[in-house]
Amino acid sequence: MAKTKEISRRIKSVSNTKKITKAMEMVSASKMRKAVEAVLKTRTYANLSWEMVLRLAKIVEGNNEVGHPLLTRKKEMKKAALILISSNRGLCGGFNTAVINRAKESLKKHNLETDIILVGKKGSVMAQQKYNIAAEFPKSDLVLSESETNPIARMVITDYLSGKYDKVTLVYTDFINGAKQIPRVKQLLPINIKFQDQHLGITEKEEKEKKHLLPGEFIYEYTFEPSPIEVLDLVVPRLIEIQLYQALLESNASEHSARMAAMHQATESASDMVNELTLFYNKARQSNITAEIAEISAGANAQQN
Amino acid sequence: MPTDKKTIEFEIVTPERVVLKEEVLQATIPTQSGEITILPDHIPLVSILNPGVIELKKPSGENEIISVSGGFVEILKNKIIILADTAELAIELDEQRIEEARKRAEEMKKSKDIDDVQFAEISGQIEKQLARSKAAKRWRNLKNIK
Repeated sequence: MAKTKEISRRIKSVSNTKKITKAMEMVSASKMRKAVEAVLKTRTYANLSWEMVLRLAKIVEGNNEVGHPLLTRKKEMKKAALILISSNRGLCGGFNTAVINRAKESLKKHNLETDIILVGKKGSVMAQQKYNIAAEFPKSDLVLSESETNPIARMVITDYLSGKYDKVTLVYTDFINGAKQIPRVKQLLPINIKFQDQHLGITEKEEKEKKHLLPGEFIYEYTFEPSPIEVLDLVVPRLIEIQLYQALLESNASEHSARMAAMHQATESASDMVNELTLFYNKARQSNITAEIAEISAGANAQQN
Repeated sequence: MPTDKKTIEFEIVTPERVVLKEEVLQATIPTQSGEITILPDHIPLVSILNPGVIELKKPSGENEIISVSGGFVEILKNKIIILADTAELAIELDEQRIEEARKRAEEMKKSKDIDDVQFAEISGQIEKQLARSKAAKRWRNLKNIK
């Protein structure tokens, strides 16, 4: 008797857990949809502002003017900063481990004195491993507007211009699709204009539409109000803000889909466990009944004799 | 209504969405050095956007009014690209709520314990709300005439 009771208690607890994981899976699914939508909406802006910077930079170069400080590589690399975007909560499979490992790999490769800027709570394990943490920014679960990333952008731009950092990299998780997310390292500052950012959401189709960007067809005589440098001064920081914002959105979408996958698996293994336990329960019940019958018939036999 | 008039491709985007993408006959845009009107075959131009109202003339004869709160404008060959920080179509605006938001922002500006960054943010808010209310008013006037 004691055995069946114990098993039925376990079945109950496992099926309760299953309910929770199922609910979490569904919540993540809807959050993921929203996050993906937000990523797609930002892409147009990101692409257009990138194109604009590209054109402006070319014109400034053509006029032999001094390049914009945010666009030119510093001669000496002394100190770098790394922005790490992680999640606030766990229970999302290997999401955080993957992105943190990617960051460590990149740190080892460049072997430069680096300050780490954390976005999201789970990145704080880096602090326990003797990495130098410069700042920690809170992250809300659903990013609604750009104002969330602007303080980070402002901070790195100021520090870069003041010479505190000579390079700023960004580590985030790129959302490929619901089943695939890749942690990525990207150089944020200085902006490398020779190298088109492939991960800002540019698809092949859009690439074709951008014929006017090709060198041969670049014949426009531009007018600037007030001046190229002043426009660049405003548009380049915007581009950095938008890249950060985009990275945060991508990370969010990845986090939610990673959690969805993890919860889906948990739900499935809970189902398996319930099945197995039910089998044990039935077996135990059966043997109880058999034992009882044996006792009764033994007793009856004893009386007849 | 078919016209043989030249049109310009007009596109306005914000970080959050693509607000409008359409063919227009002309566009009036508030820039840092004053309000400019773009007609077809305008020379390429890059400029900084001021908070204010963008007015478009569509080939159908209708006008479209958009409030913006700063950003950039780029004019290519018969194409206008506006990268706005925020932008709203006048139809989406609710005048009463804008008035309230503006008053709130102005109240906040008056209170003493704010730092420089906050002050700049609030000033930006007021300008944005002003632009929105201007857009809503102009939209209403336009509708009354017709």
